[in-house]
Amino acid sequence: MSARERVVLDAVPSLGALYAKAAGSRLRALLPGGKAAGGTLPEVEHHLEALVADPARLVAYQRLMGDTVRDTLPSVFVHGMVFPVAMSVMVREDFPLPLLGMVHLANQVDHLRPISSTATLSATARAADLRGHRAGTQLDVLVEVAEGGEPVWRGVSTYLARGVWPGSRPGAPAEARAPFTIPGRTASWKLAADTGRAYAAVLGDYNPIHLSAASARALGMKRAIAHGMYLAGRALAGSTPHDTGYKWGIEFATPVFLPSTVDVAFTDRGDHTVFSGWGARSGKPHFSGSITTMAQAPGSGRQSRRP
Amino acid sequence: MSDQTQAIRPAVIIGGNRIPFARSNGAYSKASNQDMLTAALDGLIARFGLQGQRLGAVAAGAVLKHSKDFNLVRECVLGTSLSAQTPAYDVQMACATGMEAIGSLANKIKLGQIDSGIGGGVDTTSDAPIAVSEGLRAVLMDLSRARTTGAKLKAVSRFRPRDLAPNAPGTGEPRTGLSMGDHQAITTKAWNISRAAQDELALASHKNLAAAYERNFFDDLITPFAGVSKDTNMRADSTLEKLASLKPAFGKNLGAEATMTAGNSTPLTDGASAVLLGSEDYAREHDLPMLANFVDFEAAAVDFVHGAEGLLMAPTYAVARILERNNLSLQDFDFYEIHEAFAGTVLATLAAWEDAEFCKNKLGLQAPLGAIDRSRLNVNGSSLAAGHPFAATGGRIVASLAKMLHEKGSGRGLVSVCAAGGQGVVAILEAR
Repeated sequence: MSARERVVLDAVPSLGALYAKAAGSRLRALLPGGKAAGGTLPEVEHHLEALVADPARLVAYQRLMGDTVRDTLPSVFVHGMVFPVAMSVMVREDFPLPLLGMVHLANQVDHLRPISSTATLSATARAADLRGHRAGTQLDVLVEVAEGGEPVWRGVSTYLARGVWPGSRPGAPAEARAPFTIPGRTASWKLAADTGRAYAAVLGDYNPIHLSAASARALGMKRAIAHGMYLAGRALAGSTPHDTGYKWGIEFATPVFLPSTVDVAFTDRGDHTVFSGWGARSGKPHFSGSITTMAQAPGSGRQSRRP
Repeated sequence: MSDQTQAIRPAVIIGGNRIPFARSNGAYSKASNQDMLTAALDGLIARFGLQGQRLGAVAAGAVLKHSKDFNLVRECVLGTSLSAQTPAYDVQMACATGMEAIGSLANKIKLGQIDSGIGGGVDTTSDAPIAVSEGLRAVLMDLSRARTTGAKLKAVSRFRPRDLAPNAPGTGEPRTGLSMGDHQAITTKAWNISRAAQDELALASHKNLAAAYERNFFDDLITPFAGVSKDTNMRADSTLEKLASLKPAFGKNLGAEATMTAGNSTPLTDGASAVLLGSEDYAREHDLPMLANFVDFEAAAVDFVHGAEGLLMAPTYAVARILERNNLSLQDFDFYEIHEAFAGTVLATLAAWEDAEFCKNKLGLQAPLGAIDRSRLNVNGSSLAAGHPFAATGGRIVASLAKMLHEKGSGRGLVSVCAAGGQGVVAILEAR
């Protein structure tokens, strides 16, 4: 594997500017002779130093998710803080896929230890594993967050660009998806039409597909859809440990069109909690995931609650 | 110095009083929590001649409370003819508020810290606290903190028209967004409780309550209020056919399997209750009756957020623990007062106690607690018929059960009250 080039960003990129750039490249791609789906990812990683959480934004996030205001960073909030770095990779001229309209398929995060809300963090992002999917091309965006050189958060976000294939279009998957059976609900979320705007106001992600029916329609959606990370944040609020690290993952099935009522099931499986959400009316699966507490490292200096 | 080895003494239930419970937005629409609790206290004071007395404490509470009512119970006491030197404090444990207030007072009496006390509760959903929206509240708070004109303008500029919509309290669980009824619907289905069984329990509640009124059981337990002399939710003429005709009100996501209706669920209700407790010496000195001993009480809580247990199942756990502590079996009782939050709650509770797997895996018992004699259950009606003004239910049950035990002259009674937040309080009373 060749050495990756490191691009050091000197400030947090503005998501608005990144979206504008993405929109421009999407328009250009639509013009004759525009960018076609390429076959390779740039061998590059984008790096940003000195990232510190904005306290007011953190409180607004915790309130939005129904989480307790604490002096540690929720995992999805960390994702939001470093998302501009990840996105700066995805709007590069040599990035092979159009960012706008890309679908968020899954996240896997190792939240390695509690992260103080005043921590000075660095983030490194790169794209990897471009591969075919029956509906298009998918890839992973890998972000590592460190404090003082020590990794504290590692995330893998999987995205899908629909209708573009790097090579030949793969055939239908061998195994059909198991039919979804609705589990017994333990919670119900009433998501208002402005859910996407409320998330954007807190984490700055003004992706048009989340903001309004009109802006979503411009990108081929019938209505605005809930932000995947909003759903993840709601699922994690009140369910993640606070005194140790944890792993969590979420997979998205069908989009949550706003407004909507999402029924949710949480199941405590002893060492981990699984959750899933589906349309209260439609009965269609929206997402599923799990949260697993990491064992505390011995001698880490953190006191276990029980001796 | 007090004697450190002093044995605990009995806490005695002397009597109780409540106002009739009224369906929400009905007879008590204009009555406040303070009005209703004061009325219940006035009746109790008159019945037992407590005028001018300094009691050890008055403990009560309300689940839905205005912020202006921060000292609700003390304000009520100041409005009664009790000595103004009677201390009072507010308790809040959702629907178990009354039980917690009464149980904690009983403990103080047992320890010799106080000789007498009144415990109870009150609730209104007709005079509910309505708050400004979170958006407007944030603006107003920032405005009050702003020192400069610029800062004030900045605060005001964040106001949005949608912030004018007020916040009314609901019965939804904050962490799940589900109403209490929708939570119970999960449990009702998990325990396969049929619609017919729920309707039968509801009908029995109305019939039993009506029969208790008929034989004047409540004559020394209730004082009329605002022109009402009987619980307005009571339907003495209800029938299984009428109950069967009602459409599901909760668990509607279950479609054809939904079983919970307005008939087998408690309605929103306004009302207040109060119970007088004392030491044996206090009762004798004041020539007051001793109906029953408040033997013991136990609280439990369950994790309903992550699906481990049903929201209203905590009392099943509390009963297992209180029986063990008191060396009793579930069958050692003459009366069972299981609060009818929903018919499904009572029936799921009974089913759980009979279930070997539940008793082994959840309650950690070798053998199931077993079945109870259903003819001893809620014999003078319960919340399905009387209604359920959240914090007032504990006082209603304790006063009625104490009187039932005293009438019988022997035996024990078991109280079980579930509460929001996955909590519950249970208690044991013994006849005198």
